[in-house]
Amino acid sequence: MKIAYKHLVNHIQENPSIEMISDKLFQLGHEHEIEGDIFNMEFTPNRGDCLSINGLLRDLAVFFTVNSNKKISNENIDTLNINFTNLSQEICPVISFLKLEVEKIPQTYSGCLKDYFSELNLNKNNFFTDISNYLSYETGQPTHCYDANKIEGELVFQEKSLDCEFETLLGKKIRLKDKNPVFLLNDEVINLAGVIGSMNTSCTKETTTVIVECAFFKPESIIGKSIKYDVQSEASHKFERSVDPKCHDMVLRRFINIVSEHANIIEMSLISYNYHELQEQKIPVNFQKINEIIGININEDEYLSYLSKLGFNNEDGLIKVPSYRSDVKNQNDLAEEIARVIGYNNINRNDLIIPECKRIYKSKEIENKLRYCLLDLGFHEVINFPFVNNDKDSSIKIDNPLDSNRDNLRINLKDSLLNNLIFNERRQKDSIKLFEISDIYTSANGVIKKIRKIAIIASGRVGHNYEDFSKKITKNYLSELFKNSLPNEKFDFQVLNRDSIDTKKKDEIVYFETNIENFSNKVMEYRETSKSPDNFILYRPVSDLPSSKRDLSFSIKDIDQCKPLEKFILSYKDDLLRDVFVFDFYNNEKKQEIKIGFRFVFQSQNATITDAEVDNIMNDIIKRALELNSVSIPGLS
Amino acid sequence: MSNNKDIFLPYKTKDLGSIHPINHMKDSIMSLLASFGFEIVDGPEVETEKFNFDMLNIKKTHPARQMHDTFYVEKKSNVLRTHTSPVQIRGMLERKPPIAFISGGKVYRKDDDSTHLPMFHQVEGILVDERVSFAQLKDLIYKIVYSLFGDDVELRFRPSYFPFTEPSAEVDILSSEGKWLEILGCGIVNPIVLENCNIDSKKYSGLAFGLGIERIAMLKHKVNDIREFYKSNLDFLSQFK
Repeated sequence: MKIAYKHLVNHIQENPSIEMISDKLFQLGHEHEIEGDIFNMEFTPNRGDCLSINGLLRDLAVFFTVNSNKKISNENIDTLNINFTNLSQEICPVISFLKLEVEKIPQTYSGCLKDYFSELNLNKNNFFTDISNYLSYETGQPTHCYDANKIEGELVFQEKSLDCEFETLLGKKIRLKDKNPVFLLNDEVINLAGVIGSMNTSCTKETTTVIVECAFFKPESIIGKSIKYDVQSEASHKFERSVDPKCHDMVLRRFINIVSEHANIIEMSLISYNYHELQEQKIPVNFQKINEIIGININEDEYLSYLSKLGFNNEDGLIKVPSYRSDVKNQNDLAEEIARVIGYNNINRNDLIIPECKRIYKSKEIENKLRYCLLDLGFHEVINFPFVNNDKDSSIKIDNPLDSNRDNLRINLKDSLLNNLIFNERRQKDSIKLFEISDIYTSANGVIKKIRKIAIIASGRVGHNYEDFSKKITKNYLSELFKNSLPNEKFDFQVLNRDSIDTKKKDEIVYFETNIENFSNKVMEYRETSKSPDNFILYRPVSDLPSSKRDLSFSIKDIDQCKPLEKFILSYKDDLLRDVFVFDFYNNEKKQEIKIGFRFVFQSQNATITDAEVDNIMNDIIKRALELNSVSIPGLS
Repeated sequence: MSNNKDIFLPYKTKDLGSIHPINHMKDSIMSLLASFGFEIVDGPEVETEKFNFDMLNIKKTHPARQMHDTFYVEKKSNVLRTHTSPVQIRGMLERKPPIAFISGGKVYRKDDDSTHLPMFHQVEGILVDERVSFAQLKDLIYKIVYSLFGDDVELRFRPSYFPFTEPSAEVDILSSEGKWLEILGCGIVNPIVLENCNIDSKKYSGLAFGLGIERIAMLKHKVNDIREFYKSNLDFLSQFK
């Protein structure tokens, strides 16, 4: 909600700067951005009472001398004769109607009405609707204006099951379905209550006689309607968060006052219906409890003073909650009020003693041990979303999925991991080792079952070093690897069929999945070499562009030059060089010659890397490497 | 030249794996809190509305309960938990005060755009004892934040609103760029929630807090796009070893 600084400061005696008000709003918990001279407010959903100038001023009154001083009409007003029936009084316990007829519609606005449109740069609609919108901004109470000449017959309020078309006053046609609180005129819907009125009864620029409806609707009857019908509605935003049920007389008299500042009123009449006596909320005075909740030590006078500034008064040992504060119900709510006034940041810390912790339960210890074993073996952990579209009998169905491809919860980890593997193969990865540990949920006869699973998938080269580079990951290789690491556990690796996968790769895909509970305590005997990183690594952005590989094989006659060559190449830095490793090594004892093969992987963050860019770097590497004694590149002319 | 191969062997790259940065962050925070004295408790991701909403004082009309915010499953018999708070309810029902436990894991909201994911991770904690105060909650939050971001980090508490805590606060830290960044929510457990869990709210009070793991991980690792965590991209994952 946008609120002009000017509209606040005009009512504050100390004339604070926009920054001073901003600081106090933050202290009170009212988040906002400052855009020029406008506060763009974001209120928490429990503070519907702040969605107005008056609401914010009520809160700011704890820090400043606030004088709302808004003029209201004090005239005696005739009783309106209106044919109105309320068939859902529990939803709308209070409602008022004001009928006004003016001699002539003004062409220009003055005073607060003019300021409202100019400061907030808003478009005007028509005279009465403009006042209604302004009053919602000033008081927080939405009102709805009907053209009185279009309201002939019986007006009924009712929460009703409907299936009918409704054209909003903005010209949007919506289909009302299920239960909706509506106003009906001669059985036809003319207002989706608390959200938006209809086109055919709304005011126009020519309207000179208006019926202003001012109501309190129970928030639960309004909530979700504007989203359901995709209607932007400031009124529903306020009704959903609750409005002041006792402000109708003030709001409608203020309406009269603003009209009278702009036009000659010929006739006016008003009627209010109070179907249920709204209960006042009262909370016992208990400043000791407040001290206990917050951890402070204020006396009763301070306590009462803080609360009275917010409009909470002491009546015979009970704190009377103002009618606009529907969110305050108990001592903890009052504690929050006091804490806001003191300022959360001004409350001192008190030492907290926590009882001694119990041990982490066994399954997590085994799980963690497995995790570190997998790290030692070069596997990377992934986390996948559980949403899939393969509907199986035991899978849990999502009633409201994001889309039809994600309408079930997965019942195994295989498809997710296979997708991860294919994704990385397409990114030119030639050695892929992944694992995932996750809960899996299934349903049978209405009973939901949870199983903790671990799954492993691998394909491609065994590793990126001269011993492993030419070896491929196979079922036998992995079975042997895990047998050596965890000899007491059973790993039934399977080879996944590539036939149904859109890929030209031929490497074996090896997969294993089991329940964590299938592992024995013997897992705990594993001694890992991997550990969690001590520091939090600063991430280097990943490029989605293709990479380019080059291999270089050096021949070295003087063994003393091997280390310098290796050091030079492995520590070579260039923004485009993403990785380099020794992929081949051969000691030809007969020829007294060592051959070392290096693989270079290039990738750019900004554009597809070109051969020329790679050649430039490679030429520099070659030139500097060949400066080393006895180093040559076979085949290089 | 020597002909002994053992004299020179090139550096043999060992392809070590990596823990997922979100799990690493979650485990780091859980370990930290366990070292403070919190017990670790687990709970299901498929939850009842009763535990996910009702017991936490989230009314039937609360916007979070709408179909556009919460995933309902199995003909609306259950939900995918929208926060780890239902574990606090389960934990409180199973224990008698004084109690102090934490829970971490996956949670789900019906969001899917560049800044929101349908699944993310939280760690939450609760402590219930006699005379637990907001000032003590502040002490705990300072200890957590200092442990995560260093003793010299500046933090601030802002009043906020959660149905299950009252008073409620959100905590921001000041970034090196001078911007306040929200990192956690906390508050004094609403007495209604204690009573829902058969705990005498006249005798006992509680504090609760919750951290979004992705948010903290993004700050710590300087990852700008939350979606990077879930692409399973080896170029990304292999950086976190």
